[in-house]
Amino acid sequence: MGKTQVIVGLGSCGIAAGAGKVYDKIRAIREVEKLDFELKKTSCVGMCFREPLVEVIDDTGHYIYGEVNEARAVELLDRHVVNHEVIRDYVVHTDLFATPDDSFFRGQVKIALRNCGQIDPESIEEARAKGAYKAIAMIAGKGLTPEQVIQEVLDSGIRGRGGGGFPTGMKWRFAFNNKADKKYVICNADEGDPGAFMDRSLLEGDPHAVLEGMIIAGYAIGASEGVIYCRAEYPLALKRLDIAIGQARKNGFLGTDVAGIKGFNFDLYVKEGAGAFVCGEETALMASVEGKRGMPTKRPPFPAESGLWKKPTNINNVETYGNIPWIILNGAAAYAAYGTEKSKGTKVFALAGKIKNGGLVEVPMGITINDIIYKLGGGIKGNKQFKAVQLGGPSGGCIPAYLGETIVDYDSVNATGAIMGSGGMVVMDETTCMVDMARFFLDFTQKESCGKCTFCRIGTKRMLEILERICSGDGHEGDIEMLGELAHQIKDSSLCGLGQTAPNPVLTTIKYFRDEYEAHINQKKCPAKVCKNLLTYEIIPEACTGCMVCAKKCPVEAITGNKKEVHFIHQDKCIKCGDCYSRCKFEAIRLI
Amino acid sequence: MEELNIILNGKPARGLKGDTILNAATRYGIEIPTLCNDPRIEPYSSCYICVVEVEGLRTLQPACSTRIAEGMRVETENARVKKARKMALDLLLSNHYADCMAPCKQTCPAGVDVQGYISLIEKGLYKEAIGLIKEVNPLPAICGRVCVRPCEVACRRNLLDEGAAVGIDYLKRFAADQDLASPDKYVPEIAPSSGRKVAIIGGGPGGLSAAYFLQTKGHQCDIYEAAPAAGGWLRYGIPEYRLPNDLLQKEVDNITELGANIFYHKKLGENLSYREIKDQYDATILTIGSQTGTGVGCEGDDAEGVYPGIVFLKNMEVTGQKYDFKGKTVAVVGGGNTAMDCCRTSIRCGADRVIVVYRRTEKEMPANPIEIHESKLEGVEYMFLTNPTKINKDDSGKLKSMTLIRMELGEPDASGRRRPVPKEGSEFDVEVDIILAAIGQKTDVNFISDINAFAEGGELKVNRWGDIDADKTTLQTGIPGVFAAGDGVTGPATLIEAIAQAKVASRSCDQYLKGLPLVAAPYEFLSKRDNFRVQQKEEYAHKYLHQLRQEMPVLDPAGRHNFCEVELGYASEEIARQETARCLECGCVEYFTCKLKKHATTYGAEQKKFNGEFKTYEVDFSHPYIEIDNNKCILCSRCVRICREVVGAAALGLVNRGFQTYVAPAMGNSLTETHCESCGMCISACPTAAISENVPFKPGPVKLESMECIDPFTSEGFKVKLLHKGGFVMRAEGVANDLNPEGNIGTQAKFGYHLFNRTDRITKPMLRENGRFREISFDEALQVLTDKLKSTNPAAVAFFAGGTLTNEALYQVQKLARGGVKTPNVHSFLYLGRRKGYEEITRDNVPLTQIRDAKRIYLVGENLHLLNPLVNHLVFSTRFRAGIPVELVTTGAEARLAAKVDKVHTVKSYFHFFRAMNRMILAEGLQNQMYIDAHCDGFAGYREQMLKEDYQQMLQLAGGCDQQCTENIARQYNLDHESIFIFNLSEVTAAAALEIKNLALLTGKPGKHAAGLIALREQPNAQGIFDMGMHERFLTGGVYISEEHQKRVADAWKTGSLPVPDKCLTDLFAEETLQTVVIMSEDPVGKAKDQEEIHRWLSKVPFLVVSDSYMTETAALASLIIPASLPLELDGSFTSTQRILQQFQAQKAPVSDLNTYQWLHKLLVAFGLHSSGEPSEILAEALSLLPVTRPRAVFTSRKEDTPASRFRFDSSLK
Repeated sequence: MGKTQVIVGLGSCGIAAGAGKVYDKIRAIREVEKLDFELKKTSCVGMCFREPLVEVIDDTGHYIYGEVNEARAVELLDRHVVNHEVIRDYVVHTDLFATPDDSFFRGQVKIALRNCGQIDPESIEEARAKGAYKAIAMIAGKGLTPEQVIQEVLDSGIRGRGGGGFPTGMKWRFAFNNKADKKYVICNADEGDPGAFMDRSLLEGDPHAVLEGMIIAGYAIGASEGVIYCRAEYPLALKRLDIAIGQARKNGFLGTDVAGIKGFNFDLYVKEGAGAFVCGEETALMASVEGKRGMPTKRPPFPAESGLWKKPTNINNVETYGNIPWIILNGAAAYAAYGTEKSKGTKVFALAGKIKNGGLVEVPMGITINDIIYKLGGGIKGNKQFKAVQLGGPSGGCIPAYLGETIVDYDSVNATGAIMGSGGMVVMDETTCMVDMARFFLDFTQKESCGKCTFCRIGTKRMLEILERICSGDGHEGDIEMLGELAHQIKDSSLCGLGQTAPNPVLTTIKYFRDEYEAHINQKKCPAKVCKNLLTYEIIPEACTGCMVCAKKCPVEAITGNKKEVHFIHQDKCIKCGDCYSRCKFEAIRLI
Repeated sequence: MEELNIILNGKPARGLKGDTILNAATRYGIEIPTLCNDPRIEPYSSCYICVVEVEGLRTLQPACSTRIAEGMRVETENARVKKARKMALDLLLSNHYADCMAPCKQTCPAGVDVQGYISLIEKGLYKEAIGLIKEVNPLPAICGRVCVRPCEVACRRNLLDEGAAVGIDYLKRFAADQDLASPDKYVPEIAPSSGRKVAIIGGGPGGLSAAYFLQTKGHQCDIYEAAPAAGGWLRYGIPEYRLPNDLLQKEVDNITELGANIFYHKKLGENLSYREIKDQYDATILTIGSQTGTGVGCEGDDAEGVYPGIVFLKNMEVTGQKYDFKGKTVAVVGGGNTAMDCCRTSIRCGADRVIVVYRRTEKEMPANPIEIHESKLEGVEYMFLTNPTKINKDDSGKLKSMTLIRMELGEPDASGRRRPVPKEGSEFDVEVDIILAAIGQKTDVNFISDINAFAEGGELKVNRWGDIDADKTTLQTGIPGVFAAGDGVTGPATLIEAIAQAKVASRSCDQYLKGLPLVAAPYEFLSKRDNFRVQQKEEYAHKYLHQLRQEMPVLDPAGRHNFCEVELGYASEEIARQETARCLECGCVEYFTCKLKKHATTYGAEQKKFNGEFKTYEVDFSHPYIEIDNNKCILCSRCVRICREVVGAAALGLVNRGFQTYVAPAMGNSLTETHCESCGMCISACPTAAISENVPFKPGPVKLESMECIDPFTSEGFKVKLLHKGGFVMRAEGVANDLNPEGNIGTQAKFGYHLFNRTDRITKPMLRENGRFREISFDEALQVLTDKLKSTNPAAVAFFAGGTLTNEALYQVQKLARGGVKTPNVHSFLYLGRRKGYEEITRDNVPLTQIRDAKRIYLVGENLHLLNPLVNHLVFSTRFRAGIPVELVTTGAEARLAAKVDKVHTVKSYFHFFRAMNRMILAEGLQNQMYIDAHCDGFAGYREQMLKEDYQQMLQLAGGCDQQCTENIARQYNLDHESIFIFNLSEVTAAAALEIKNLALLTGKPGKHAAGLIALREQPNAQGIFDMGMHERFLTGGVYISEEHQKRVADAWKTGSLPVPDKCLTDLFAEETLQTVVIMSEDPVGKAKDQEEIHRWLSKVPFLVVSDSYMTETAALASLIIPASLPLELDGSFTSTQRILQQFQAQKAPVSDLNTYQWLHKLLVAFGLHSSGEPSEILAEALSLLPVTRPRAVFTSRKEDTPASRFRFDSSLK
């Protein structure tokens, strides 16, 4: 009979929800009460919507408790750990009985995230117990040649998970074929999309998977040095990477003769990015690593030919590397068994926005958007109407609800005008204004433009100005056409991915929601009732009780009316602050 | 190199592997526009103007960075590409808050380049200023008096606290008056005769201008004028107190002097028929004016005593009689300049009272404000907001009084002025004797039936206003070959509008005569700040020095009862110059060269298409030579990149990101606080004027002429273009040639040109008498000098000449000294007392182009970037491109170069440092013995001597760099194949230079590719000092003085034996034996480190002769001064530090009666030597004395270090 284990999920999402305090509480109680159980840490299991999560493992099985605050933690220790009573109401997931949240796991296939939430990410022993570094050991043991490794990756059909979707094996082969005295492997961990946290979760939850993937890539292409370019805004990921690198070095997986492979010397270090979105672009990333201003340069030459310090370099995203050890260990065929004809394997998505179960999921390619949203995600928050989903963050585009049966693979998503991107999936409901949403994303990319190229630097600025004026009611005829003209030219004449994709949210919203643009411009109305300047607040005479609250609080005295009489909003004075709307207890104010 | 086949715009083409599309297309003569590309730096691709379509690629590709590939199909000019280029330009321009052209020039109907001529007037270049004005306005003196000056209304100086525009018109008048009075007045270039004839109908400003423009194009112009004199309303309308007839006549004469004829008393339709014209002429221009005046236009205006104002004015001119208005009250109706002429003339005719009746207020008056002001001074009364409603007559029909009604201003009308509205019932009467109606004029096309009767192919029409109907853009009338311009087309307008029209009509007429299609002047894109926002006071006030307008001096109002010119003109050049200082220079300095403007013009870019937020910046003037104006920046980063990639200084960077990005010094706020070397390469890279030269004068912009010379400051021999106007140099640029393929430039050449604008040139010989200089003739000066030289013991005579003289002059001087005066004392202060070691060291220099192939470079010294910018740029661009290490050995701990290199080795003594290195190599037997045996002499002795020395003591004396570090460098240099030591000889002693050479020999490098050393000299012709024999130990040919060579030279000169030197010149100075010393183009006193010592030496010389171009501190000590020509004024040659002899031609005339060669020649002849004043013959003679064999390398060494140069390297530009 093993000791009971209590495992607290201490990913960033958990910590943000208060998991740190929960962990401290549990530890304190254990010490004070001299309780005999093992307290452990893990990272995000994906159920961000139920954080903080605490898992209890005892002889009877595994139980994940959700929304564990300090009070609930005390209760949990008392009832479950001490008195062996499973508190079924709090369990969000277990192997033993069904819970309402089970649907979240149904349909997920965890390859990249295989160990996330399963291990203490700061312990190489736990990671190794779960199979970490077995792939590189297998390569060493079987004496696989770099060509064989590359072939395996090629056969698996895995494509770049950073968004580009370029076949990873081909990329490796290019880098392998370019002979040089020195080569590099870079891990792009500069995840910058608003609403995306796939890379962060993986780095926080299973850094060794990423390290091993890089080590294998280094072996395959003949690199001796690796760089993980990670956002400085990910302190926990950075800390865990640092610990993991130290442990890997100590265990012989970094340094000379890695994993016992004679002559394979490989080490890596972390380079903290300063948070420029454009540094996710590989050429800008390398410039940044070299200490230059993070600005992209023209490809070709591609990094595989002339990359970091002008040497052949392989750059992959965190998730891509995370998949590699599994592929090597389980074989290309096992991986390729998942997915569609041209998009193999699984993909991690970060579900965010107006969705019930916001969190991290890993699904096989080929699943439909509707399945992700309704089956895994539990549908739309507040049971509102699903309107669209934004895929690929600010570089991507929206897919309207009526295309919800679109399957998730690179080509199907591209056909809609959106992109797979790195896996950010922002769900929007009827209360989202699509013009405002396009404005939001363009505002982001516009600010993140490095300023090098004309079209991106000034073109996106001008597009944003047009969107801003449409949203504020100053749009005029020809604006949609001018947006289109600018958007196409920016896509056609930009040096890097940032510029080439920045107009996507605008183009797809115009494509699918042109009527909303027209309503803003022609009727000066925001159908989703988001754009402040286009709203009209009106009193519903039947509902108004004449309580005078709204009139008293109106900052510009735009509301008049005597006590117990129907009030009136003077539109010429109204500044559309919405104060009346939120204060009215009788829902007597409507927005039109 | 592998060749690739591509398809360029559908045609097969070839390129080399590695070529960009841009390079390949350029080779085929296909111009792809670009802003961010610069062949000197790596492709960047930011502007996206150069996009092209590449088949198979989804997006457009930047041609500057896309490499060609076999079979690539490229379209450089299709619709998609053009659309993208235009949009890129639209976008760039939407954030380009800058003016191409100043508002004054934009506003001028004729487009007179005000900013340009102000710049020229500032420099006293009046003739050039008038030339510039006359490109579009042939009547500057007239216009300078009577123009309505829309330019001054537009002038931004109005926005400053002083509230007064620059005196644009006054300045024009000043320049025109100066030019008219000048014996060398401006005469335009006349094209060869075309054999075509043009008839011009009407000799007013339009007709005169048309004649001027067409005459300069080579067409014969005949003006037919109805009146007895030329000028039209200029003569018959404008009174003499404003525009004197003789002045008018001078400008008319200027035009007839070009060959135009004027036939008077000829009126078309009356005594001249179009039939005659058609028979005799190839084209006709109708400049008939608006001849008829209109009445008051109310009831009773047929009364006696009511006249059109222009009739009144014209009658006086025609009759030569002035009216007598004594005792009378005159009312002038109207508010324009004719009204002013009428009222002010009426005063001059003695009227008791003169009233101007105007229906609006003074603010709305179209008349020139100064006229209103002056009229008031002269006593004119004003009735504003009043209008005549009726003219009352007496029984005889004579004028009695005028009924006026009060007006008030209502809503603005089409002209933007508030419309006057009568106030009901406010009528009142005023008694007047005379009414002059100055309300308007009409065109009278009396000859229309005549012309249409004989015209072929069309018909002359009048429009609904009664003016001639002509095409708006070409001004051709309905009859082919008949053009019209001026008031006859526009209705009554201004002088400058008539001139502007004449320009258009002349242009079309010229096209017509040449059989070309008639097209308007080409479109020109202009960026305008007004496209972004109305220019406000806040943006200008407090940013400029407060300076009041130089007002026009005028006659005392009390003394104006005559027709003398009231305005007197600026009193002096100084006043005019002061007024020019008020110009804010709104127009862009790169107006003529801006690439953005060029491409915007080509692609029809629109600045306002994508208007939105725009960035504004304060211009950074903090650097003495470089100014940064981010308003104009398009972020191509060429400046940032060239500074990093070529200069290696990385002084500039990009600040912020995205739309907020701007260019600024990488560290700190001012360039002066960075590692900026002031080389000006950033300026050369900027496609706009975002980085430009901070000049202490007004640069215009004006179209500049070019003089080419060899860099007058450094020894690298690169060509420099001096861009000047009228001799005033305003800019210097590097010239690309084999020696300097990228056309690079450095500090001294870029900014040192101010030297050429110095006004203190020595132009005449001067003899010191009683402590003061007296100007004398060359003859006298040469006589004095000859006498003095002949009467002094030759051993007590010495000649000095510096490395800024041409080979020819150096040769002549030493020939005079040795062959004529028979003195062996020949030298240059540059090398005085510095001992042996500098002579042959440059012989084995690595060719500069091989720097590109070096694998490691060592710099010695601290000022390479200033002394040898070309080498500096080569070294650091190689470092950037090839990633090779550059190390610095320096005694200057604070060397600016240190920031640019990979390693710094600080030492105390170069001599001991290199000796220690050599000693180590010898001690360990690391030397390349095979090389030494094959190429060098003196090795055994050197080795023996060196091994005797105390190594540790050497190291100690070397200082800084310790034993290990010293040995590491020696070993590394020995090991590397392509490794070079580079140094300037002004920074190392002779002994140290010899040890560097020994090091190169020991390691077996000289003569091998990119290996050995590059020793650089410090003056443009320092090498010539040796080669020409201007050195105490060298004869012509750079050969040590030997009996054999002396004989050879003496034979060539046909003179007896040459004197043999026995003492060095330092000793002769110290011993005070020198009696007569001639110093040519050297300023030892001014440049000496120990000025006192040199001053003492030279002041002890009884007769000091100095020849120089400017007054120097040395010249101030002279007994006799002789002017020296600048190399720019001579044909001649320099030998570069790499021993490349380059000949050049004189670029301008010498400022003195005799040039340097000529007076030296006279002296040589006076000493009985065969000589020539012709530089080519001098050089041929010198070259005939060159040695035939090349000596072997020799190990030479000294035990002690030798003295450093006595003269300081002066990096501060004067």
